[in-house]
Amino acid sequence: MTPGPMTPGMTAAQPRPATGSRRAGLAGLGVIVLGWEALGHLLGGTFLLAPPSAVVGYLVENHALMGRALAATLTNALAGFVLGNLAAIALAALALIWPAAQRVVTGVALVIFCLPLVATGPILRVLMGPGDGPQIVLAALAVYYTTLIPLLVGLRAAPSSWFDLVRSYGRGRLAALVHVRMRAALPYLFAGLQIAAPAAILGAMVGEFTGAERGIGVLTVRAMRGLDVEMTWAIATLATGVAVMAYLGIGLLARRVLTDAPPMILAPPAEPRGRSAGLAAALLGAVSVLAVVVLLWGGGLALFGVNPFFAKGPEDVLAALFWQPDAAQTRATLGEALVETGVLLIPGYLAGLIAGAGLAIAFTLLPRLAITAMPLAIALRSVPIVTTAPLIVLMLGRGAVGTVALVAVMVFFPTLVACLHGLRQTPGQVTDVFDSYAAGPLQRLVRLQIPAMLPAFFAAARMAVPAAVLAVTVVEWLATGIGIGTLMALSASVSDHDMLWSAVALVAALSALGYAAVGAVEARVLHIYAPEQSR
Amino acid sequence: MTHRPMMSRRSLLAAGGATLGLAGFGLGTGRALAQTQVALQLSWLHSAQFAGSYIAQDRGFWAEGGLEVALLQGGPNAPVEPPVVAGTALIGISAADYTAAAVEQGAPFRILGVAMQKNPFVIASLPDTPVTTPAELVGKKIGMALANTPVLQALCTLNGVDINAIEIVPTQYSPQPLLTGEVDCLLCWETDLPVAMTIEGLSPVTMLMADHGYAVHSQTYIATTDSLANRRAELVALMRGEVRGWEAYRENTDAAAELTLRMFPDAGLSLETQRLQAARQVPLMFSDLTDANGFGWWTDETVAANIETLALLGRKVTPDLWDRSILDEVHGA
Repeated sequence: MTPGPMTPGMTAAQPRPATGSRRAGLAGLGVIVLGWEALGHLLGGTFLLAPPSAVVGYLVENHALMGRALAATLTNALAGFVLGNLAAIALAALALIWPAAQRVVTGVALVIFCLPLVATGPILRVLMGPGDGPQIVLAALAVYYTTLIPLLVGLRAAPSSWFDLVRSYGRGRLAALVHVRMRAALPYLFAGLQIAAPAAILGAMVGEFTGAERGIGVLTVRAMRGLDVEMTWAIATLATGVAVMAYLGIGLLARRVLTDAPPMILAPPAEPRGRSAGLAAALLGAVSVLAVVVLLWGGGLALFGVNPFFAKGPEDVLAALFWQPDAAQTRATLGEALVETGVLLIPGYLAGLIAGAGLAIAFTLLPRLAITAMPLAIALRSVPIVTTAPLIVLMLGRGAVGTVALVAVMVFFPTLVACLHGLRQTPGQVTDVFDSYAAGPLQRLVRLQIPAMLPAFFAAARMAVPAAVLAVTVVEWLATGIGIGTLMALSASVSDHDMLWSAVALVAALSALGYAAVGAVEARVLHIYAPEQSR
Repeated sequence: MTHRPMMSRRSLLAAGGATLGLAGFGLGTGRALAQTQVALQLSWLHSAQFAGSYIAQDRGFWAEGGLEVALLQGGPNAPVEPPVVAGTALIGISAADYTAAAVEQGAPFRILGVAMQKNPFVIASLPDTPVTTPAELVGKKIGMALANTPVLQALCTLNGVDINAIEIVPTQYSPQPLLTGEVDCLLCWETDLPVAMTIEGLSPVTMLMADHGYAVHSQTYIATTDSLANRRAELVALMRGEVRGWEAYRENTDAAAELTLRMFPDAGLSLETQRLQAARQVPLMFSDLTDANGFGWWTDETVAANIETLALLGRKVTPDLWDRSILDEVHGA
């Protein structure tokens, strides 16, 4: 689980579009809207899709209601965004001050990030009571990890000569932090913030499902139940619009702030470390993470004095899974649900990765395509999955296709953005060499650009594991009614809290393991293609 | 109909309380009167489903009893039973099957009152291929949450229908599969999807499962044994407000729907839908039994029928899950 090279250029490296390309982008958007309008009329009477004209009509007519709901959701999303990112900064600072703790800090942070929102929602509601607490916490939980990881990389992303310079002036670590590390980390921080904005909105909406008084999440439920297609699509459009604006706004801010080109970092080859020593360190790290998680979990419940009817500690989960008379039954139920989920999750995850990387390559070969398709890609990723999951499943069917497609969408966009950045990182000098040998674009792609893209691709692939789990559990819960997502919602509703907490623990553990597994593949591949990255 | 004279007396009281209540409503907390603050945990999003409680709030029925009641909204992912166990809510709106499940897991609950005498589960179909008896389910495709399979199983057992002859299509939260012909019928609530379909200009046919032996008390008031022992006065005051609120509701369901929209402007409700929903739940909540004994009532017979249906759902309960001492006090007063 190496904290991989994240991609500061997710924000900074996007070139400002020229007027011509902006026009092309608008044209692309126009085509999309027209197609949507036509499809909306084609599907009239099926209660599936409202055309944009109807959506606009609804929004105009109900602007007061929508405005209040949006304000409520955005307030919580913003609070969560701020708190989550502050937590990320604090954790990064802790890891910087105390480097030995970094593995444990990131490991525990990962496990917490992998907690399934579907189940943490009601748990938070019981802990925090009525009010905005769960919405804010879920928004914060949805964002902090995607900021923490790039930030950790960024705080070290400075040439060693800069640190030498600080030292040569006789200044210490604090000066290095202020003058070197913080500035070096800024592009990485912005990259994290940009991804965090739509995630915070989604987190706040899921939080509203636990009994909030108002917000667009509350209205989503109302619209779905009430067969109000116009309202459903109006909410989806509104939420997407706001999320896209937040994404673009942070990107714009980043371009204003980050005017310097990123420095060239030349890293000496890492000391070859014995295989067994590496394995031992990894094992020790995993055990420490587990110990801290168990301590936080059990200690937290004891500290807050949560009622044992609802709150199950590590020992309760172990008992439910292994010692209680019905443990075998519990394990079988969980296993069955996990298999149902896995057979949809894994193809969707892989499809999303392939689509993201494939499209990034296509964009590199055909830059005009990128200008038209990028707005759609951003929109697709920003649509809060809770509003679209039921719609997409209705359209693509309750079979495998709908779920696989939704998971793929969640995975696809971060992969695309990361890969685009990776492709741009191709060192210019090497490109010159290829040019001087008159290498074709394809040859350059295969031998040069794709290997250069790999670190970013793997970083995205790791982060996509929890995102895919979130997507699949939400789809199961809201639309298909199978798998571990439904099992968690159902267990909560029939007070089977042993099952609920067991499912939460298992999902979080499996997600974290999946993340680690991708990290292991990454290490092997990068060892061959990008040895300077596989430290 | 022994209840009628009392109703008119209550309506008079209600009219007096309305001015009081209006003065209090909107100001929320911080009033000079020493009110005890309690919470009522609702089982779903705000809607006419709980309009009796809104009337109690609006007209000050609770304030008269010295209570300031917070109405905690439910939702698709909202815990209902845990806040009652934790003491966040004094009373929760549950249902006999969910209550039984919680009791099995160690929750010390008692059912204090039954708002929905008849379970609101229906089989909804379209007039072309209507389902009006359980036997007609044979060979049909039914859309429902898989979680509700035990409910369908119980209906089948009660009516001698082979569940294997019905094709279950998993659906969630939407009447859309019925409208596009993907399924022939839906398992849903009488007051939920069928109302939405009617508003959209369709005329769904509904078969109430309660009319075919499915006896599970719904929208039940639950509290812990600890509250029953130590907070009786508050429980009585809360339930008294509920009873008065729901009696007022019955007198004018349109007004109840309007109040719902007025109190919860952010809920995204439509008046038309709320009016229809409010009217449709009256036959589920009021019966000869409640006319004779008062809102929320049950008898040993209805409890026995519940225990039988709950057993089919895999829940073992005993009659002492139902505790009438609070209702006795409310209706005896």
